[in-house]
Amino acid sequence: MSSTRKKLTFGLTSILAASLVLGACGNNKASDNSAASGNGDKGETVELSWYTIGTPQKDVDKVMEEVSKYTKEKIGATVKMTMIDWGDYNQKMQVLTASGASMDIMFTASWAFDYVQNARKGAFAPIDELLDQYGKGIKETLDPAFLEGSKVDGKNYGVPANKELPAQEVWRFNKNILDENNLSFEGVRTLESLEPLLKTVKENNPDVIPFQVDKNFMPYVPYDYLIEKFPLAVKLDDTEYKVVNVFETPEMKQALATMHKYYKAGYVPTEAATLESSSDVQATGLWFADKATTQPFADNVWSTSYGYPIISTPQSDALVYNLSVMGSMQAISANSKHKEKAMEFLNLLNTDPVLRNMVDSGIEGTHYKKVDDTHMENLPESKNYDMPTFSLGNVMLTYLNPGDPDNKWEEFKSYNDAGQPAILLGFNFDPSKVSTEIAAVQNAKEAFWAPLMTGTVDPESYVPKAIEKLQAAGLDKIMAEAQSQLDAWKAANNK
Amino acid sequence: MASLAKSRDFHRLSPVWNVTFNLIAGLFSLACVFPFLFVMILSFTDEKTLARNGYSLFPEKWSLAAYEYIFKAGDQLLRSYGVTIFVTVVGTALSLIFISLFAYAISRKSFKYRTYFAFFAFFTMLFNGGLVPTYIVTTKLLGLQNSIWALILPLTVNAFYIMIMRTFFSTMIPDAIIESGKIDGAGEFGIFFRLVIPLALPGLATIALFSTLGYWNDWFNALLYIEDPSIVPLQSMLMRIENSMQFILQNTNNPSLGMGVLQSMPQDTSRMAMVVLATGPIVLAYPFFQRYFIQGLTVGAVKE
Amino acid sequence: MKALGRHLKDINRNKAMLLMVLPASLWFICFSYLPMLGTIISFKEYRFSGSFLSSIINSKWVGFDNFKFLFRTDDAYIITRNTILYNAVFIFIGLVLAVAMAIVLSEIANKRLAKWYQTGMFMPYFLSWVIVGYFVYSFLSYDRGMINKIAVTLGADPTQWYSEPKYWPLIIVLVFLWKSLGYNSVIYLAAIMGIDKSLYEAAMIDGANKWQQIRNITLPMLTPLMTILTLLAIGRIFYADFGLFYQVTRDSGTLYSVTNVIDTYVYRGLKTTGEIGMSTAAGLYQSFVGFVLVITSNYIVRRFNKDNALF
Repeated sequence: MSSTRKKLTFGLTSILAASLVLGACGNNKASDNSAASGNGDKGETVELSWYTIGTPQKDVDKVMEEVSKYTKEKIGATVKMTMIDWGDYNQKMQVLTASGASMDIMFTASWAFDYVQNARKGAFAPIDELLDQYGKGIKETLDPAFLEGSKVDGKNYGVPANKELPAQEVWRFNKNILDENNLSFEGVRTLESLEPLLKTVKENNPDVIPFQVDKNFMPYVPYDYLIEKFPLAVKLDDTEYKVVNVFETPEMKQALATMHKYYKAGYVPTEAATLESSSDVQATGLWFADKATTQPFADNVWSTSYGYPIISTPQSDALVYNLSVMGSMQAISANSKHKEKAMEFLNLLNTDPVLRNMVDSGIEGTHYKKVDDTHMENLPESKNYDMPTFSLGNVMLTYLNPGDPDNKWEEFKSYNDAGQPAILLGFNFDPSKVSTEIAAVQNAKEAFWAPLMTGTVDPESYVPKAIEKLQAAGLDKIMAEAQSQLDAWKAANNK
Repeated sequence: MASLAKSRDFHRLSPVWNVTFNLIAGLFSLACVFPFLFVMILSFTDEKTLARNGYSLFPEKWSLAAYEYIFKAGDQLLRSYGVTIFVTVVGTALSLIFISLFAYAISRKSFKYRTYFAFFAFFTMLFNGGLVPTYIVTTKLLGLQNSIWALILPLTVNAFYIMIMRTFFSTMIPDAIIESGKIDGAGEFGIFFRLVIPLALPGLATIALFSTLGYWNDWFNALLYIEDPSIVPLQSMLMRIENSMQFILQNTNNPSLGMGVLQSMPQDTSRMAMVVLATGPIVLAYPFFQRYFIQGLTVGAVKE
Repeated sequence: MKALGRHLKDINRNKAMLLMVLPASLWFICFSYLPMLGTIISFKEYRFSGSFLSSIINSKWVGFDNFKFLFRTDDAYIITRNTILYNAVFIFIGLVLAVAMAIVLSEIANKRLAKWYQTGMFMPYFLSWVIVGYFVYSFLSYDRGMINKIAVTLGADPTQWYSEPKYWPLIIVLVFLWKSLGYNSVIYLAAIMGIDKSLYEAAMIDGANKWQQIRNITLPMLTPLMTILTLLAIGRIFYADFGLFYQVTRDSGTLYSVTNVIDTYVYRGLKTTGEIGMSTAAGLYQSFVGFVLVITSNYIVRRFNKDNALF
């Protein structure tokens, strides 16, 4: 190859590359302007950009086109939905929000793009007035506890999806093994009451893990935690609203001692404290009992998903916690230029079955077909539009699948009605004054949390050490701050 | 060329040492390949068998389910291969140009500002603005949102490679060669492309290799900047599945999430299959770079 | 005026070189220096209001408050110690082994075999830490791990590896070396290949044996590269590889005394509050310490040999 030609190509490419960078650096103004002038507010139809969680589906744009036709007619707005995959959602939304990107509606929850945290930082617009003006339907359909429990410093920042409201802990049993050993869960409720069953299974089924526990496990104690997986809590029936360190409570001490006993007896997996999830064991079915949170017809869901029968029995009352009302919400971005329209849309989404089912299942005749008024059936095309139902607003408007009991949503309603509010419902701790201490306590806490909760270590010697470490890291200061916030909240709400 | 290879023979190792060296390198390399073989076997293992027996080199039951799961994406996978190959090739070419020019300039003692520019580059290795400012510059200032350049430009230059390359230039290029070029009346660029580059091939190959791997493995820029599925690169597609798997597994105790989503998730074996699919092609490309490391060049050969 | 004239003349004399550094310099400005302005949020309690710029302006100044969490407890000592000690070991052993491996590969007579070895060594680079973590687990798992299975067949008691801190410094160093050696030795191998072969020929004529050649030619020729790479590594001595200390150890709480490093500490500490200001502050602190260390060591290197220094 001739070296002149090589030289020429090289030279040309580098000039090209340099000009590319220059050009790119220079064209900022142009793109800024187009962004600003693109969506003029001339009273025309506005396009709402909606960010939501879930694996991106092929037909989203196609379905949103149909949705837009419908919403344009109803409220004069069209919808552009962007789906961001489960594992990327937190980070991507964090960056988008921090950079001031223009979004209108976004999914938020206690477990994804943290609702309380981001509401406090100013990511979402307060919606109290919007709700009164444009969201009447939402207020009518939702159990008041939803809006009550999702208040942050007295204001609402998100529309919770209408779904199961209280959280109730249950013991789940692998029914095959239960039957095989002629066992019954009658009388089982406390952690201690499991023991005879575990013992029998341990003796009769050496291959089976009697009590499946992984690093996320926490024994149930009658306390309401201020922050998820953080040792500060208030006892459920404490009329004084006293914040305590759970490790100092008799209930937690007893539970940890029992767990340690179970661990030593070999009921719990040896490596429970580092076990990321129980999915392996659930796939093989070689487990007997574990702890889970239930909802109506949960046993059916579990049984179909594992492929073998599961039955469950309660270990706690059904209570409405802050976390349970924040399971799935839609918020309006503080940067949104169309907050009213966004609320109108959310109102429609949560009250209009046509829209709700279109968003959920796609286009009728393409992705699904209706069987009767309340039932539908997926068509093969639905593989291109398979959405997580719970994340898209009012669940109880969705059509039933074949095999769903006819009274599914009635059951949900009565389950919700029966739920009692937990003590801290509506109170959300503001950690900004003690964030230094929280960072230190988190690190101190993580070191022994899972080993203690799973029973891997002896609480007799570890709990005192843990308490000492937590205090050294500044737990007392957090506790005092929490107590003063709680007292103020209590006074303000006449509790 | 043949005489060249021969010319190295005269300083051969004694047989005993040769065997020892072979053993050291061979055993270590085996230890490095073994996990990869393992990953391949796992990707063909039946999911239930894996869950029951744990990792095993000789699974009781084989299965193609993991690949079926990934190939469900169909043409998306092929497209992503295309995007990745394009990004890697163009990106590596650009990198080589940018990096070698800069590194060469700061390697030359006659360049008055070389210390400033060396520091200018080095400083960026230590301090960075973090995710959000970078995101803003790339999207708002450069306007690269949803553009394939957002996958190429952020990785084009790297101070680490510049420093390595500069050392290669300053140790491997005798001043005499540059002087001889000057006497022949060549300009600085002429000297660089005609005399220096051929001598620096092992170094350039190293940087090209690192840059290729960097582009091939990059998924984070796609996470930040790309929403259009037609320009999602391979690693990003696979990492997205992997991250989501991880996220959902960690949140299985969450009642909202746990009920509906879990069944449709890919499993451990698919994760392994992803590694195989993402790594296979680039491993095959490796020997291309390798000849520059093993054969090497002699100054004499180039001068001829 | 005269000074300016001289300046312009200098620029003119160096214009070819300046043209060469131009493309990458522009890149550095766009992708490194501009975003660097964002570090200002490490002194702010960052809250959203409108665009990023207005958010920065409207957030309140908190001085050095965002840095405090790094020094709050005894953990400050542990994480600093762990980060520095591991990195020091990685730098030192990594250097020795990478150079040694490069020499070994370059001396192997059968070039085809050498190629195979080299390809093999590169494989771990392709595995993410998550996968490496799974793999390590397949060795160290209590009831299914290979090592315990072997121990049991030999009549020994199985060990709970993930709750025994004493083994982990060794495990971490081994895993790190295993993953990085192939990658690092390529750089030195390329450098060896670039050495002028006439130097060896001359040495042969003088009757130098293989070892003398390595000591007197190869190693001195590699010294600049070794120095530079070591200096660069010192600059990052306060940064730890998150995946190695988080995924490979399965985030096991019992091991924190030997596995908690600055990066994992920051991750765990900010999980609940998600303060961007604090994470930026942590990064700034890591960079700053590295910067001071590099400047110091660079100064020392300069005193010995100006050409080997970074700048």
